[in-house]
Amino acid sequence: MMMLDLKDLVKDFGGLRAVDSLNLSIEQGQILGLIGPNGAGKSTVFNCIAGVYPPTEGEIFFDAARINNVKPWDLCRQGLARTFQIVKPFTSKTVLYNVMVGSYVTTDKRSAAESKAVEALKALNLYEKKDVKAGNLTIADRKRLEIARALATDPKLLLLDEVMAGLRPTEVDEMVKIIRGLRDRGITIFIIEHIMRAIMALSDRVVVIHFGQKISEGPPKEVASDEKVIKAYLGEEYAVS
Amino acid sequence: MTRAKLQSLSLLLVGVIAFGLPLVVRSPTYLHILVLLFLYAYLTTSWNLVGGFAGVLPLGHSAFVGIGAYTSTVLALQYGISPWLGMIVGGCLAVVVGVLIGLPTFKMRGAYFALATIAFAEGIRVMVENIEYLGPFKLNGPRGLQIPPLNTGLTNFMFAEKEPYYYIILVMLIAVLALTWFISRSKLGYYLSAGGEEPEAAMALGVNVARCKLIAMAMSSFLTALAGTFWAQFTLFIHPKSVMSLDVSFEIAFIALIGGRGSIAGPVLGAIILRPVSDLCRIYFGAKLPGLHLIIFGVLLILVMIFQPRGLQEPLTKLYHRFLDRMTTQPARAD
Repeated sequence: MMMLDLKDLVKDFGGLRAVDSLNLSIEQGQILGLIGPNGAGKSTVFNCIAGVYPPTEGEIFFDAARINNVKPWDLCRQGLARTFQIVKPFTSKTVLYNVMVGSYVTTDKRSAAESKAVEALKALNLYEKKDVKAGNLTIADRKRLEIARALATDPKLLLLDEVMAGLRPTEVDEMVKIIRGLRDRGITIFIIEHIMRAIMALSDRVVVIHFGQKISEGPPKEVASDEKVIKAYLGEEYAVS
Repeated sequence: MTRAKLQSLSLLLVGVIAFGLPLVVRSPTYLHILVLLFLYAYLTTSWNLVGGFAGVLPLGHSAFVGIGAYTSTVLALQYGISPWLGMIVGGCLAVVVGVLIGLPTFKMRGAYFALATIAFAEGIRVMVENIEYLGPFKLNGPRGLQIPPLNTGLTNFMFAEKEPYYYIILVMLIAVLALTWFISRSKLGYYLSAGGEEPEAAMALGVNVARCKLIAMAMSSFLTALAGTFWAQFTLFIHPKSVMSLDVSFEIAFIALIGGRGSIAGPVLGAIILRPVSDLCRIYFGAKLPGLHLIIFGVLLILVMIFQPRGLQEPLTKLYHRFLDRMTTQPARAD
């Protein structure tokens, strides 16, 4: 079964075509990586799927339902959660409060929301910091908080937008482990990432876009040796390894 | 004694002092000042549901005070309906107006939202000032409405002494504070704060930010209108320049910002600090320096924004918690 299906997706901003006839799909339980040079349209694809912008043309199907004009909050209730490339924590509130905003989507009861939030915090190794104000967190913890909040909404599909940018190598390894753990719980994951090591380790398949168009798709190894990808994105040195 | 026990005990003590105050304060002048203090604490707490939790700065709440005051007064004068009933009708009318104002204005942020709410409130005031009769209802234009103090008593919401008013507004204040406390811990409270702080992130987490703000606006308008009726019954004379004046909206905002918006204690603390300033200024400097209180408010606001941007409630709450800690940990150390 397909969890997400993009059919000929087009997004124009004025005269600029940010996404051009993009087709891709993710099977339930898989991890799909989306890579491409800066400005390729990766985050725009995410914003279209998450309901921030309605697509100019084409169709988006999530869990077999057409979601072209569905609002972000309704998508979240249907099980589509996302993180932001530039993290947006509620800085004046504690970590637990932040995550409870997410878990309240599944319940109206405070106690249920709190226990679900605690569960999400434990999955992200953030539980010890639950009473810290989100504004006082390090960047690595903010990225984890971003995922914990999304996870607390009980998603079927999770869109992760550069959750490893700015992390130290050991933190990247920890994050890779965490994301694998999420997949093992049955969550389908669509991830944008620039750290190739992480993308290679995580993805079942990788899609590469350049100027809004798909230039390659396949298992990570194949994509990494694709000449078009190397030219547009990875650079000549990467071909050697 | 446990911490929770001490906390509820100290709250109880404040309550007892508040209820006992009229036994000590016999002067009608000072009771009057206290009633206005509680009235403004109540108004600001109601305002706080939108202005504090939802993170916008509405500056047109005087419209709802006016709607409440006029509705109950017109109903009482023309149809002999008890102001208690008129109070509810006024509240419902304010909800309709509040939602109608909120629908277009919540799309804006910051100064644009504030200006739009001022425009709506002033628009309503100017209209009332120029309307003698609204359909069958006599509004009496700029001259306002006088409530003849004939039948005093609880059912008529009219008393010869200040004490009954004192207790009514005190109970109203406690009720609205309890409501705020309850909301701040509920899903709606979480959603309002989240939507106020980072709307995009909140939306992605399933929060319909615009809808939450409208709900808050509806509640806030309703509660504010109730205070309008109280005001009318307390002064027995209302006119557009009193109950609908922008000064009311601004004073609410001053109290909220200096006390600490978005907190429960903030509006009460703000009213305790600012109300006496404005009343005493009017009593002692009213003839020579009218408007002195506004200058003091301005200076206070600047100082508070520089040194305590979250309002005076923050250092005071910290102090209170330190006091609680000290009182509860000392016996443990002695063991």
